[in-house]
Amino acid sequence: MKALRIVTDFLRGIGEATFFLLAIVAALPAALLRPRLVVQQLYMIGVLSLIIIVISGSFIGMVLALQGYRTLADFGAVSSLGVVVAFGVVRELGPVVTALLFAGRAGSALAAEIGLMKATDQLSGMEMMAVDPIQRVVAPRFLAGFIAMPLLASIFSLMAIGVAGGHLIGVSLLGVDEGAYWSQIHEKLHPHDIVESLIKSLVFGAAVNWIALYQGYHAAPTSEGVSRATTSTVVVSSLVVLALDFVLTSFMFR
Amino acid sequence: MQSRALEVLVGFFVCLGVAAVFVLTFRVASLNTLGGDGKYDIKAKFDTIGSLAPGASVKIAGVRIGRVRGIAIDPNTFQAVTTLEIDGRQSNIPSDSTAKILTAGLLGEQYISIEPGGDEQPLKNGSEIKFTQSAFVLENLIGKFLTTVTEKGGGQGDPPASAGDKGTSAAPAAAPPK
Amino acid sequence: MTSTGQDVLVRVRDLRFAFGPRAIFDGIDIDIPRGKVTAIMGPSGTGKTTLLRLIGGQWRPQAGSIEFDGVDVHRQPRRKLFELRKRMGMLFQNGALLTDLSVFENVAFPLREHSGLPESMIRDVVLMKLEAVGLRGAAALYPEQISGGMARRVALARAIALEPAMVMYDEPFTGQDPISMGVLMRLIRTLNEALGLTSVIVSHDVEEVLSISDYAYVVSGGKVLDHGTPQAIRSSASEFVQQFLLGKPDGPVRFQYKAERSYAADLLDGAAA
Repeated sequence: MKALRIVTDFLRGIGEATFFLLAIVAALPAALLRPRLVVQQLYMIGVLSLIIIVISGSFIGMVLALQGYRTLADFGAVSSLGVVVAFGVVRELGPVVTALLFAGRAGSALAAEIGLMKATDQLSGMEMMAVDPIQRVVAPRFLAGFIAMPLLASIFSLMAIGVAGGHLIGVSLLGVDEGAYWSQIHEKLHPHDIVESLIKSLVFGAAVNWIALYQGYHAAPTSEGVSRATTSTVVVSSLVVLALDFVLTSFMFR
Repeated sequence: MQSRALEVLVGFFVCLGVAAVFVLTFRVASLNTLGGDGKYDIKAKFDTIGSLAPGASVKIAGVRIGRVRGIAIDPNTFQAVTTLEIDGRQSNIPSDSTAKILTAGLLGEQYISIEPGGDEQPLKNGSEIKFTQSAFVLENLIGKFLTTVTEKGGGQGDPPASAGDKGTSAAPAAAPPK
Repeated sequence: MTSTGQDVLVRVRDLRFAFGPRAIFDGIDIDIPRGKVTAIMGPSGTGKTTLLRLIGGQWRPQAGSIEFDGVDVHRQPRRKLFELRKRMGMLFQNGALLTDLSVFENVAFPLREHSGLPESMIRDVVLMKLEAVGLRGAAALYPEQISGGMARRVALARAIALEPAMVMYDEPFTGQDPISMGVLMRLIRTLNEALGLTSVIVSHDVEEVLSISDYAYVVSGGKVLDHGTPQAIRSSASEFVQQFLLGKPDGPVRFQYKAERSYAADLLDGAAA
């Protein structure tokens, strides 16, 4: 009996979230007509996430270079270090880690903000002023997240491969030949790798945003409800990102 | 004033992101490392190309000058026909040059190396390199090596040098163990 | 249209609404007269706020109808409903100001969304509305910098920004000190007169509400218990209304929440165990 209840609740949640997504998509054209709101959200979602993305990108690149160097050194193939870092970052870690950080940084903030707006009647107030909150509040945030994610992931990848991550450790510290580092990447990494990386991050961005906005919009209008929405945003979107990553990878890298 | 600063920051962020996408695509992944115009194709036939794949580099003296654009089979000779796209700036490769399939390092990927000959006439679009050296296939190499070793062990009277010669030319038929 | 008298702005008929199994309204009829201040009173938890949300079309009733100026609120497509809402202002219990906008921008919000006026006129209108609630000086402040009473006045300025036909007040006096309560009471009354508004006040602050309203309803247990002018309500024959007005601890509404078993049985049970 209780199991049935859990199943129906789960299905209801999925259905509700689907309708919510459809409503957002329907409101997107109106959001595009008001770029100011999107720009404001790009600041909240994108600019404020920049530092954490830059720092973690650098560290991920450094770790990959260290670990890759150990293994490659056994085969006398340290000149391939750049390829190891670049493949790992562009295909996997760039989009995935960025999406996870994005869920923790921007997703939780979105859920909390929307949840609080609901708890303090701001969303109802808008409705009573004949303003559709999905159009005015939700859609610009969704759009901004959708734009910000691939940009953040690209910045992350670039930091990890070149600027401060793999290059710093591999070339400056471990003494890999700089020319070999770059020429190997040039030869092995194809533009379609970048395109697939961008597709991944677009999908992840949409998923994280959707989950965060849904959780906030449908949070119980209490402080407990808001905190629960924030937590489940991070948990659910992390799991969804990892699952989607598997699906996309198996589709794209045959 | 405040919203101005915000717009500037967002603009900065978007530019940074777009720049990152471009750098990744064009610099890191090298969408196109060849000269944009004046590319030309030449052909080369090999008995075997090993694990050479489309997109592999074509190099002269270790410098990348082009890439393998296509690989096909010659229906008559059953040789592999590779189409090489060469940078237009290298328009003076002698027509009697040799193309070899080499391996970058022990485990690296295979590429085509062109060793220039001495002919005045350069290769043109559509012309073919006649002198080629196929890829080493590791199994064949090991097979030859094993033949050499067994013959060295079996034919006691023969001097080692001639055994080596025999090994390369003879079929890998099983030599009598004694 | 014919059923709607000229003097009735909102007509609620046989309204039924339930949250899951809990019935909030069990068939109520309410008429809100045009140009008057109407009070809807009742104990906490009788769905007074729910009534306002139903009138605003945010929630749908299970049965019955609500007409606003002769138009059935719940039989409208979304766009028409939004048109209707532009003619209703609503003051939420805590103001519901948008926290990321200044006081000025909050009042300007409905104007920017709907009026299409040029910036200079929006500015003038906003300052006029803020002046009307006495907060022109607070235009640059943000919602977290002003008191609860001020927030409600800002929300009131915002509610009248589009010059609606009706303003609904949800518990406007709750948690206010006597001064800001007096300010709000006077504002509600004077705005009603000056702008020719129709006002609906939902509240359980009996004395304050009765002193400024022209007509009052007492709602409890999903039914309208009594209605009439404030004088008529004060002298109501209903025992419940008397208990509610005078704040008696015991009466038709029991002090004890309904228990399934008797007190003695409960205690003895504990002793046995």
